Amino acid sequence: MKPVQLFCWHFMAYPYLDKDFDKSGHSGWVTVPNKLWDNDKARGLYQEYIGQLALADELGFDGMVLNEHHQNIYGLMPSPNLIASALTQCTSRGKIVILGNLLPLHLNPMRVAEEYAMLDQMSNGRLIAGFAPGGGPETFNYDVPSANTREKFWEAADLIVRSWTDDGPFAHEGRYFPLRYVNLWPKPLQKPFPPVWIPGSRSPATMTEVAKRGYCYFLSSRSHGGETHRAQQEFAQVLEKHGDKYHPFRFGILMSTYVAETDRQAREECEEGVWYFLKNCLKGHLRKEGRQLTYGPGVPYIPAAAWREYMKGYTPGRKLLGDVENWEELEASQSIIVGSAETVAARIGALIEKAKVGNLLIQFQLGNMPDHLARKSMKLFAEKVAPILRHNSSIQFAKEYPGINVEQSAQAVH
Amino acid sequence: MSGRTVAIIGRKVWLLENGSGAPLLYLHGFADVHSVKEGWLPFHEQLAKSARVIAPAHPGCAQSDENKDIDMIEDVVFHYLEVLDALEIDKFDLVGHCLGGWIAAELAARHPEKIRKLVLIGASGLFVEGALIGDIFMNAQPEFGSSYATLREMLFSNANQANALEMFPDGKGELEDEVRRYQMLRLSSRIGFKPPYFYNRPLRNRLHRITSPTLVIWGEKDGFVPRSHGETYAKLIPNSSELKIIPGAGHSAHAEKPEETAKLVSDFLAK
Repeated sequence: MKPVQLFCWHFMAYPYLDKDFDKSGHSGWVTVPNKLWDNDKARGLYQEYIGQLALADELGFDGMVLNEHHQNIYGLMPSPNLIASALTQCTSRGKIVILGNLLPLHLNPMRVAEEYAMLDQMSNGRLIAGFAPGGGPETFNYDVPSANTREKFWEAADLIVRSWTDDGPFAHEGRYFPLRYVNLWPKPLQKPFPPVWIPGSRSPATMTEVAKRGYCYFLSSRSHGGETHRAQQEFAQVLEKHGDKYHPFRFGILMSTYVAETDRQAREECEEGVWYFLKNCLKGHLRKEGRQLTYGPGVPYIPAAAWREYMKGYTPGRKLLGDVENWEELEASQSIIVGSAETVAARIGALIEKAKVGNLLIQFQLGNMPDHLARKSMKLFAEKVAPILRHNSSIQFAKEYPGINVEQSAQAVH
Repeated sequence: MSGRTVAIIGRKVWLLENGSGAPLLYLHGFADVHSVKEGWLPFHEQLAKSARVIAPAHPGCAQSDENKDIDMIEDVVFHYLEVLDALEIDKFDLVGHCLGGWIAAELAARHPEKIRKLVLIGASGLFVEGALIGDIFMNAQPEFGSSYATLREMLFSNANQANALEMFPDGKGELEDEVRRYQMLRLSSRIGFKPPYFYNRPLRNRLHRITSPTLVIWGEKDGFVPRSHGETYAKLIPNSSELKIIPGAGHSAHAEKPEETAKLVSDFLAK
């Protein structure tokens, strides 16, 4: 059985904020004043980040993960496809996962279909095509009306996949993106089409749509206490309902880690970057400080009945990941796992064992973490943690999922 | 107070009716009937002393069915033409606040013959250069995990006055109130988010078609729809009086100064 797939995730944060940014009252998102951008410091930043992803490929990670964000200090990839394009030329074996293009932000989904097809060709069939609807901040960045975002998203996603598989030209008689001549040039390399991953945060509606189409579900919430296990069980149930069966490679999670020679050294080396990430990058997103843009009545994208259900369990002022006050709380959240190779292997191993997750999307560079530390941590992980996780998970998966063909229909042809 | 459901082309519309006399169609805004509380505000009760006040909940608000085909204000105007047919009303007084005022102005520009008299209170809908309508969606996102102070500031003259806090409390209010607030934002997002925000550029050049006597009322300290929008409505609607300002009130003049605002409206309709 295939072992757990280990991917190197990058946000490409803006790492040069002043130490007192958190006290300035600015959100890190949407309205964060762009006069804070400093060209003297930022020159070469993209090269540094791309270099870290290329290193992941050299170290034998199963792939590199990119994502789309706009107008924030959390992630400097308004166009992940541009970074992916660079990676097609400076990496040779890992998957290139774009998780994902935010479809409702695109005037015409065919642009995404075309660019993904190009990237699949340019990477020799290494693309994993992620589609995401975008969250609260994008609503404000790109003036995307919330109420019909989900309908728009699924229409666009289905149109893109159809353009990859059906012979053109054909007319798409859609509600939001009607097109007379859909006729994709180039076609993607992978057949019938590149694997599709969709992020969600445990909404049953998203899980259902993902299950219906046979895609991989990626849990975007970052705290991995009981929630990850529950999400896995919920998704497995939804799959059963649609006559399908869960296996670990239908599911992915995002987490962060830092590995050093000892537990103590690990904490000392990464702590500044961790707090930069939690306090600055998450401010406006997963943090109470400032305005919470990600979820709320101002971005009403779920139906009123779903909002009623959500409100029943909602506790105002509840702590989010960015609100953790000390190291102990952070450790308990299991979102950022820090320590020696032994510690990290044990803790991530336990997470895989419980959550039965086959795709681990791991953030190594955190906040303003310097290049040399991010690289050292990645290297230690690849050499000392990855082999243990791979070994144990392949035994576990073979035992728990005997006879399941994990190769998705749309796997790489090379 | 009595509520009932009207059926139009396969959808339910929830409405409240109060009082007797000439029909007065009331189209709601945010701090308003159907958008926060289930029942009437004192303002509407005052109006109902001299008119038959009919207040439908917009599509997707309160118990009215949602209509996913709504993309723009035009769709809401046609929705109300259906409602009027179902109610068998062909001539009526039309009063609208905020988003409801926008719908009222659009309706009046298309069907001036249906409107006896028109009242706009803090109406959105116009593009006025250099005077953007506020971002209610951003302000509906909580600050510090639970504060809606800036939302109240936008909708009222003072964020901490009693009825502002009652309608838009910090933290979590009554579940059904929370749902009603959400529904109103969801409908608004369909028509008021694009073009941003809450306007329809061509409306301005259509206002000359409105023939009914018109009264435009604005809160002195409207923090959501700038006063210049009221001045523009009053100037471009041919039969409009001068803009009437309610001293001390914010955007929700009808909720903050109900007696004063209702008297202005009733006197105007009685003339």
